[in-house]
Amino acid sequence: MKNISISKRNTWQERLNRFTRHGDIPWSLLIGAMAILTLVVVIAIAWMLWTQSADARAKIGWDFFRPTLDATWNPAKDIYQAWPFIYGTLITSLVAIVLAVPISLGIAVFLAELCPERLRLPLNWMIEMLAAIPSVVYGLWGIFVFLPAVVTPVGEFLSHLSVLPGFTGTLFTGPISEDGTSRLAAGLILTIMVIPTITAISRDVLLAIPNSQREAAMGLGSTRWEMIWQVLLPYGLSGILGAVILGLGRALGETMAVTMVMGNANEATGSLLKAGYTMASLLALQFKEAVTPLHTEAMIELGFTLFAITLILNLFARFLVWQVARRTPQEARA
Amino acid sequence: MSKFFRSFVFVAVAFSFLLAACGTSAVPTATEAMPATQAPAATSAPASAATPTPLAPGSVTLTGTGSTFQFPAEQAYAEFFPGVDPAVVINYTGTGSGAGKKAIIDGTVDFAGSDAVLNPDEITAGKDLQIYPFLAGATVIAYNLPSLDPKNDPKLILDGKTLADIYMGKITKWNDPAIAALNPKIASKLPAQPIFTVHRADGSGTTEIFTNALTAFSSDWTAGHGTVIDWPTDKAGTGKGGNGNPGVTAEIAKNQYSLGYVEYAYAVQNNLPFAQMVNKAGNVVTASPDSTKAAMTDFANAFTPQLTAVIVDAPGANSWPIAGYTYIIIHQTSMTDCVKAQKLVEYIHWILTNPAAVKYATDLGFIPLPNAVQQKVLDTLGKVTCSGQPVHW
Repeated sequence: MKNISISKRNTWQERLNRFTRHGDIPWSLLIGAMAILTLVVVIAIAWMLWTQSADARAKIGWDFFRPTLDATWNPAKDIYQAWPFIYGTLITSLVAIVLAVPISLGIAVFLAELCPERLRLPLNWMIEMLAAIPSVVYGLWGIFVFLPAVVTPVGEFLSHLSVLPGFTGTLFTGPISEDGTSRLAAGLILTIMVIPTITAISRDVLLAIPNSQREAAMGLGSTRWEMIWQVLLPYGLSGILGAVILGLGRALGETMAVTMVMGNANEATGSLLKAGYTMASLLALQFKEAVTPLHTEAMIELGFTLFAITLILNLFARFLVWQVARRTPQEARA
Repeated sequence: MSKFFRSFVFVAVAFSFLLAACGTSAVPTATEAMPATQAPAATSAPASAATPTPLAPGSVTLTGTGSTFQFPAEQAYAEFFPGVDPAVVINYTGTGSGAGKKAIIDGTVDFAGSDAVLNPDEITAGKDLQIYPFLAGATVIAYNLPSLDPKNDPKLILDGKTLADIYMGKITKWNDPAIAALNPKIASKLPAQPIFTVHRADGSGTTEIFTNALTAFSSDWTAGHGTVIDWPTDKAGTGKGGNGNPGVTAEIAKNQYSLGYVEYAYAVQNNLPFAQMVNKAGNVVTASPDSTKAAMTDFANAFTPQLTAVIVDAPGANSWPIAGYTYIIIHQTSMTDCVKAQKLVEYIHWILTNPAAVKYATDLGFIPLPNAVQQKVLDTLGKVTCSGQPVHW
C-alpha cells in the first residue's frame, strides 16, 4: 500500500516534471495565449462597434450606405448618410497607393540592387526616419509647404485638363481653392506617408532573395533591368504585395494629417480638387461634441464600416498574395 | 524545470514591479494636483470661505467635464479659486458638451459644462438637473477681401438675411446687390468674385450659436441648428471646414474672398477684421462686451424653467445679434455629499459675482452676465438643497 501511495506521488511529480522539463508545453501555451489575445482584441472591438451602433442600424437602415455623393449628414436633423465619407476614404487611399507603389518599388530596387555602398546607409536611415515622422507633422508641413508649393499648382493644371475630351469627368472638376486643401491634397500627403512603409518592406523582401537567382539570371545573359523586372520582382511579389497591404492599411486609417489638409466639407461632386472628409477625419472632428445619441451611434456605425472595409481589403489582398504564392513554382524558390 | 520556473518567476516579478510602478506613480500625480502654492486671489475671498471647521487644504475635489468652449475660463477658475478657498480643488476637463451632459446624467462628475441645452430625454434621465448660464460668447464674421484697405476703408456690414443667404449659397458673389446695398461706401470695391464660406469642421458651441442665429434670421434656413450641421455651401463646393477657431482663421487667411465665423474672443486676440451687423432694430452694431450684454438683457425674461435662453437676433437698439450662453449643469436636489454641495455652490457663486473671477473670464474674451440675468441665476442657485437641507453660499 505504501508503495502505491509513493508511486502515485511519483506519477504526479513525474507528470509535472515531464510537463515542464523542457519548457516546451508551458512556452507554447504562453505563446498561444498571446496569439489568442490579438484575436480577442479584434473580436472585442468589432463586437463593441456592432452592439453600440444597434440603434443607428435600426433607425437609419440601409439608407446609411446609399451610394450617392449628394448625401446628407446632418446631426441637427438626425439624418445620416455616410457615402461621401466612405468615398473620401477610398479615393484618397486609391490615389496614395497608385502613386506610392511605383515610387516605393523604384526606391526599394535602387536600395537593394543598384545603390552604391556609400549611399545605402544614409538612404536607409532617411526612409526609416520618414516612417517615424508623426502624422501631425506631415499635416503641418502639408499646410504650410506642400499644399501651396505643389498641390495648388498641380490642382490648377488638372482643372484645366477637364476641357480635354477624356477628362470631362467629375474627378477633375475645378477650380481648386487657393489654399489647396482638397481630396487631392489628402491623397498626395498619404502617398508620402505610405512610401516609407512600402519601401522598407519591399527592400527587405528584395534583399532576402538568394543570390543564386541573380547569378542564374545573369548567367543566362539577361541585363540588369531584365533580371530585376523578370526575376527579382516576380520572385518577391507576394512579399511586395504584403508591403502594399500595410501601406494601404495606413492610408485607410490615417486621421490627423488628412483632417488637416482635406478641407472638411460634405461636398457633392466627388472631384479630387474639392474638399472632402474621410471616415477617420469625420470621426475625429465630430465625435467629441456629438450631442444627440443617434449622432454618436451613427459615428460608431461609421467606425464599424471603416473597420469592415479595412478587414475586407486586407482579406482580398491576402487572397491575392495567396494566389501569387501558389502560382510561383516552388522549385524556383528552392 | 528549474530553468522554466526561473524565467517564469522573472516574468512574474517584472510584471508585479511594473504594476507597483504604476501604483506609486499615481500618488504623486494626485498630490501635484493640489494647489499648495497658488494664492494670488486670496484677498477677494467671499465671506463664506471661512467655514466653521476649516477643511484640510485640497480635501474637496470638484470634478467637472464638458464644453471645450468654456474650458479656458474653467481653467482660469481652477487656477485661482483654491487661492480663495484652499480646501477646494477644481478639476475640469474639456471633453465636449455631449460628453459633459452624459457624465452629469450618469453621476460621474460633480458638474458639467455645456454650450448646448438639455433635450427633453436628458431632462427626464437627469431628473433634477439644473442649468446655470454663467458666461456668454459672441460670434463674429471674419472675412478676407483683399480689395479693401483694412485701415482706411470702413468695415464690411452684413445683415442677418444676407448672411443666411450667403451660407445657403443664394448669394454667391461679393458684388451681389444685397451686399452692395448694405455697404454703399465700399460698393465699388466689392469684386465680382465668388464668396467662399468657411465653417467649423469640429463639433462646436460656436457653430451652435451661429446656426441658432441663422435660423432666427431667415425662415428659408432649413439646415437646422446644432454643434454640427450639414452646410448647404459645402454641397455646392464653395464651403470648407476648419478645425477649431485657428483652423477657420487659417482657411480665411489663405483663401481670398472668403468669410467665416469665429469666436469674438479669438478674433480680438488675433486682430482679425470682422464685419459689423445690422441688428433687428435696424442699427449697425459692432460685436463687443457691451453689445452682447445688451442682447442678454433683452432676453432676461425669456429664460425657460431650466434657465436656458437663446439670445440671438436680439431686439434691442444696440444688441449684437449672434451670441449665446455657456452653461454649468449640476444636480439641484439630489447631491448627497453636503460638504461638496456647499463648495460647489460657493464656487458657482464666486464665478458669478466675484469681480476677480469676472475679470479672468473677461480677459479671455468671455462676456459676463448683466445684472438682470445674474440676479435670476443667483435666485435659482439659492434653491439648491442637499439631503433636503438648503445649501447657501
